[in-house]
Amino acid sequence: MFDYPIFEMPFIGHRLLFAFDAILHVFISHGAAVGGSIILVLSQWLAIKNNDAKLDALSYKILFTFFILATAVGALTGIGIWIHINIINPAAIGALLRVFFWKWLIEWIVFNVEMILLLWLFLIWKKHSLGTPGKKKVYKLLVSYAVASWFTMAIITAILGFMMTPGNWLVSYFPAKPDYLASLLNPSWFPSLGFRTFWSIAWAGSMAMVLSYFFTRDDLELRKKAMRLYGAVLLGCIPFIIAFGAWYYAQFPQAAKELFWMGMVTRRFAGNPEYATYVTVILSALVLLGAITFYTKPKQAPLFLGIIMLIGSMGLIGGFERVREFVRKPYIIYDYMYANGVRVADVPYLNKTGYLKHAAFVPPEFREVTDENRLVAGKYLYQMQCRYCHTVNGINSVKARTKGMSEEAIYHRIGSLNSPATPFMPPFTGTDDERKALAAYLASLAEQTPANVYKQKLDEVSK
Amino acid sequence: MTDFRIIPGDIPLPLPTMGLEFMEPFFHGLLIVAWVVHILFINVLLGASLASVYFNSKGHKEKNPIFDRVGYLLTTPVTISENMGALWGVAPLLLVSILLTPLFYSSSILISPHWLHIIYGNVVAFLLSYLYKYTWHTLEHRKTLHIFIGVVGVALFYTLPLAFMSNVQLAMTPTTWTYTTNFWDALLRPDTFFRLVHFYLATFAVTGVFMLVYGMYKRRSKDEVDRQAGIVLTRTGKTWFIIPTALNFFVGPLVLFSFPDYGIEAFFANGYFWGIILTVVLALYALYQLLKDFFNDDIPDRRVWTVVAVMVIAIISMASLRHGMRMGLVKPVLEASHAKTELFQKESMAAFEEAKTKPKTYTQGDTYPGKTMAEKHGCLACHSERVKIVGPSYRDIAAKGYSPEQIVELVYQPKPDNWPGYMPMPPMPQVPAEDIKVIAEWINSLK
Ligand code: HEC
Ligand code: HEC
Repeated sequence: MFDYPIFEMPFIGHRLLFAFDAILHVFISHGAAVGGSIILVLSQWLAIKNNDAKLDALSYKILFTFFILATAVGALTGIGIWIHINIINPAAIGALLRVFFWKWLIEWIVFNVEMILLLWLFLIWKKHSLGTPGKKKVYKLLVSYAVASWFTMAIITAILGFMMTPGNWLVSYFPAKPDYLASLLNPSWFPSLGFRTFWSIAWAGSMAMVLSYFFTRDDLELRKKAMRLYGAVLLGCIPFIIAFGAWYYAQFPQAAKELFWMGMVTRRFAGNPEYATYVTVILSALVLLGAITFYTKPKQAPLFLGIIMLIGSMGLIGGFERVREFVRKPYIIYDYMYANGVRVADVPYLNKTGYLKHAAFVPPEFREVTDENRLVAGKYLYQMQCRYCHTVNGINSVKARTKGMSEEAIYHRIGSLNSPATPFMPPFTGTDDERKALAAYLASLAEQTPANVYKQKLDEVSK
Repeated sequence: MTDFRIIPGDIPLPLPTMGLEFMEPFFHGLLIVAWVVHILFINVLLGASLASVYFNSKGHKEKNPIFDRVGYLLTTPVTISENMGALWGVAPLLLVSILLTPLFYSSSILISPHWLHIIYGNVVAFLLSYLYKYTWHTLEHRKTLHIFIGVVGVALFYTLPLAFMSNVQLAMTPTTWTYTTNFWDALLRPDTFFRLVHFYLATFAVTGVFMLVYGMYKRRSKDEVDRQAGIVLTRTGKTWFIIPTALNFFVGPLVLFSFPDYGIEAFFANGYFWGIILTVVLALYALYQLLKDFFNDDIPDRRVWTVVAVMVIAIISMASLRHGMRMGLVKPVLEASHAKTELFQKESMAAFEEAKTKPKTYTQGDTYPGKTMAEKHGCLACHSERVKIVGPSYRDIAAKGYSPEQIVELVYQPKPDNWPGYMPMPPMPQVPAEDIKVIAEWINSLK
């Protein structure tokens, strides 16, 4: 965005940089904290009910693993999501913070409760053995911890829902006046929350199954008990995941639904949307195969089935998050702000007056396109409008995407980035001069020098 | 008037004050308090993790189980303060993000990618600190390895303030921004350097106070080794507090006078000077209290609590004047930023309204339904009637003599091989087949 400095992530690009942190966070936090705490409540409840010391000991080992993961990786990568958008798309996170400040502050308070409960729980668990009154306290702490961690997810889900289906959140554009309640109660909040809750539990179930496998190497009876318990949880969640998923999908804006298949199979296979179905079926089959085998034959099932169950789950979760991010394109906040931080309402003004003119961190000599500064101005435009999704040489490289195109062809293409052929790209914003500058810069990348252009022409003639 | 080369714009949405007058001052107050809590946890994290490794190796070298116990005891505050410290960093981040958006976001980007170190460096340091803690007994006989793990983790923790301090210092001095400022520029400045020294010294001082309290509890323990460890903690706590605090009397002024002049002027004009006096007096009083009992291992509880209370007030006072200095430095640029954003919004609104009323310009395709359709579906972005733009001209395509059905197929699944030298056409499965047939009629009419 033109108000901020430019940070470029070479080769891997912003989307992958962000995705790395975000997906790590989702795997760990949804699994080890949100779903994990619910799984632990169940195990603890059973252990107390049946006075089962072995199940209690197993639960502690699982808690220990979840604790390390949730605090060292989950919580920090959660803050990391924020830090990443902070430098990738400050305009978007700035807007989200202004609209969701109080919800975020409440989330933070609950997060405190969650963390204190977890630390406390973890530090006292071993002091109270089964059958002592202290154990009841541990159990209550555990339940409160589960509630708190679910609640933090509920608020974040509202924000994610808002980005895709903001509803009627903006009372007026100029001066901007948000409707804070409407933004919270956006249409996809509840369905997506239900969807996330159940797959978190299922995912935590599969993690718990694999962990139990390791922790019960010398006690197959205990393994059977654990696999039955966690397997039942995982399998029981599936109908809910499907039901909430369908409800969630129904809330997508029409344009997002149209991008749905492409989001799943990537654009290269956009002509073959059925691949998406194959991949989903295969991944689900991996999960089911693992879960059902562990459930029915807990003592014999080999570890590798557990591993493919984890891989299948991660594939499904990662795929879901990818699709969710992709179908929101070209927006970062639907209908309000494009993925590159340009507000939809500002486009006419920027087209009229120029984009670079407002760029605070571009040296003044490049704010007006001239013959001398054309390439540098074009580069700034690329960095401010395209680098969110493109890199120069790496992933989704603009150089590759414009390969073989003449400067003029690039110029034409830039005029219709948001066309139905590529509806996921925001339109180019700026004056005609700026559009030419960007085209010149992009053409220079692929070394479409005049000499090359003549060579190309020669080829055509000699054909 | 100070010259600001770069004035970033602000977020064009109102502050979430819920229409309440007192909300903004409340935000500032909350920022100070949350920041103090955050920084105290971070101080203890840094200090205690270093002390733990130090006593671990001392215990190993001197074969003294008491020092070993001190090191082990210190891992619990490390676990608590690394978690709580990170958590309490979120609230200041949230508040700074709405109060100082243009400054803080800009500086974060200027020092990136190094800014990301506070996530990835932190995750690794966290994991190492857990590894260090939970292998204390398993690695009992491989102490060198164990100490090595501890040292690497601690070293990593000590690099995190470098990223934080450069960011914070850069955010509060927008006069120093250039179009090419980066992380190293911000880190290697005298003002950042003095602040870092001040911070690290304060870290030891705060950890010293913490050790006094921790030692006080451990001295009451029933376990003999714990009791001895408590005494070691108390002794160490005193030195850790006294020496760095005394040094900071000298580093403090260096920090103050390394700020830009207009900030220092605002600082004195707004009376923050009294905050410094208060802090110095309180710190001197705390030093005096501790020196009285310097050689007494059984330092009375009352004395310890007095030092804690006095230092908490001193730190809040310091945090407030730090905030005052920051606001003095950023106020001119924040005001300019708000004014700039407002002007932008006004002009943008005018253009927006104008665009709403203006009719679309292209209507010449009316006579050819196929051409209108091609326009609507974005085909004309890449194809023109006669000349090659991105894709081949429609006349050239018409020369191939496809049937409308074939063209539908080719739009859904283009065959780039038919057109060597061109980029592949993106498949456009979303365009209805009937529409493509209408376009196809038109294409074929161009022959
Ligand atoms: C919201 C993300 C996003 C932004 C912002 C964006 N693009 Fe793209 N762009 C994409 C994606 C996704 C593709 C398709 C990649 C593929 O084919 O797999 C693409 C493809 C392209 C292509 C190839 C088009 C084709 O028909 O195959 C060009 C050229 C291009 N982008 C240029 C630009 C330029 C120039 C900008 C900046 C003005 C820009 N893009 C901004 C996401 C984006
Ligand atoms: C992103 C630019 C782009 C857009 C938008 C686009 N085309 Fe194309 N088209 C091309 C290119 C490049 C080729 C040649 C290479 C190829 O066939 O892949 C082409 C080839 C074609 C061909 C010839 C196919 C063949 O194999 O001989 C037809 C027919 C065609 N386009 C129709 C359309 C129609 C109809 C639309 C609108 C619905 C459209 N195109 C939109 C870029 C585009």
